[in-house]
Amino acid sequence: MENKEIFEKITPIFVKVLEHNNFKLTETTTTDDVDGWGSLTHMIIIEEIEKEFNIKFKLFDLMTMDNVGDLVKSIKSNIS
Amino acid sequence: MKYISNLQKSIEEHSENNAFYIGDTYYTYKDFALEVSKIRNSINKKVDGSFRLIGLIANDDIETYAAIIAFWLEGKAYVPINPEHPIDRNTEILKALETNYIFDSTEKANFEGFTLLASSTEKNIVINLTPKPVAKNDLAYILFTSGSTGSPKGVPITYNNLNEFIEAINFDGEFKLNASDKCLQMFELTFDFSVVSYIFPLLEGSCIYTVPRNSIKYFYIYKLIQKHKLTVLSLVPSIIHYLRPYFNEIHAPEVRYCSFGGGALYNDITEDWSKCIPNSKTFNYYGPTENTIYSSYYKLNTNSCQNTTHNGVISIGKPLNNIEYIIINENNQEVLPGDTGELALASGQLTPGYWKNKKRNNESFFTKTVNSKTLRFYKTGDLCFKDSQNNYMYLGRIDFQAKIRGFRIELSEVEFHAKASYAEKVNMVAIDIFNDLGNAELALAIESEPFDTKDMVIYMKAKMPDYMIPDHVKFIRELPYNTNGKIDRKKLRTLFDK
Repeated sequence: MENKEIFEKITPIFVKVLEHNNFKLTETTTTDDVDGWGSLTHMIIIEEIEKEFNIKFKLFDLMTMDNVGDLVKSIKSNIS
Repeated sequence: MKYISNLQKSIEEHSENNAFYIGDTYYTYKDFALEVSKIRNSINKKVDGSFRLIGLIANDDIETYAAIIAFWLEGKAYVPINPEHPIDRNTEILKALETNYIFDSTEKANFEGFTLLASSTEKNIVINLTPKPVAKNDLAYILFTSGSTGSPKGVPITYNNLNEFIEAINFDGEFKLNASDKCLQMFELTFDFSVVSYIFPLLEGSCIYTVPRNSIKYFYIYKLIQKHKLTVLSLVPSIIHYLRPYFNEIHAPEVRYCSFGGGALYNDITEDWSKCIPNSKTFNYYGPTENTIYSSYYKLNTNSCQNTTHNGVISIGKPLNNIEYIIINENNQEVLPGDTGELALASGQLTPGYWKNKKRNNESFFTKTVNSKTLRFYKTGDLCFKDSQNNYMYLGRIDFQAKIRGFRIELSEVEFHAKASYAEKVNMVAIDIFNDLGNAELALAIESEPFDTKDMVIYMKAKMPDYMIPDHVKFIRELPYNTNGKIDRKKLRTLFDK
């Protein structure tokens, strides 16, 4: 799966969980850049992404995610 | 003041050790001492000596921690201000203090009428950690917590209160750090567990690992544990609730101490967590901010079946040295042994009283003669009882004790039976909500995907009277927590509004 496709799939998940779309996800987007993306919503976003892609992140993946680019990379490696 | 001299000694003795790890950077005790000295220089130049309180913008950096120590060495008190909180609330706090000064390491704070302090930029500042003399009742800090009236209430803590607290922990000897310890500091400086998380490491020359405000806290904490092999953890229970799905990946044999506080600690999750930290001594601490951080604790057994619990919640143990606990009724009279009532406590750790709040002070403090000693007691608002082994059990806030159809209900009991009825380990919280007629009804929030609750209700009906069976059940993806890591019941209530 291409990065572009992954972005297209995760953006609606962010919109649904955060209940707004005032953001544009890029490789370098972090929790600081998006309103409402915090400890609680992160957990829900992660669960939704796991469901969407039918994957299960490792704690190691999650702790090393610093931005959306890392998230996409991790989704990619989990799919393959 | 003994603890301040001991801080000086430790900072001087451990100058080569790392004192802090903040956002990927280590700072030695020598670096720290220099920062402290720069801030002292700035205070001496700019602050009118008659002012004792200084607002402290609580940033996650070395200067902010150095400011705390610099203030104490100068005989001042710090009042932490969370820069993320609404400006109106922060202004209200600062105005109540009647100070003219704020320290902000980022120099961004903009409060009208206040002089902004920062580290001195002078060159060749000499390290100076010699404390100025202080009186024992001078203040060390004031923490503001949300008051039920909507206005934040200030809890002033004196140098002597803090000194008594440190002596009580050391007297006991169960928790003893050393210079090679690596300690977690995950708390906002506006929450008093932060004081424990920096003061004991600084007194022993250990290194403090802080957690940035905007990080995903539980993952960042795990990263610190894993990467830096932390040895001392002080946590709120919500952290392990978040990490629970990943317990099988966590193995941290280096952890020597794990302290919990700030909310009900459940025996079942702690049992699983203990496998992640197999060599750790684990404690459940309890204490209102008014009595300087911790007032009592329970040391958990290696075998969780031996833990003293009530409704699955671990005991808050026995009071620290020199703290008196009594359980009282509405008339401030002691209840019969084993009966439930409000916990009141007295000790040298007890605040002189809320900041400029006479009404509240009259309500919350009273004097009483116990064992032929006349003591000043504080009413905690916490519902407790003492068991036959003299361990205290925390049942919840008195305000959380719901009254449904005239019956008093212990919400933790409802939660306990609800959880026991379901095979999977999920978190459940019982709350009282008010219907259109203003009558209280019982509601249960379940942190899970929806499931059929028919069997659960049957089970609960077999265990509890009908007025204790929830009238409403809702499923929620994640329970809401406030910034101190406690379950946000107000927010939870809104779930049932619709």
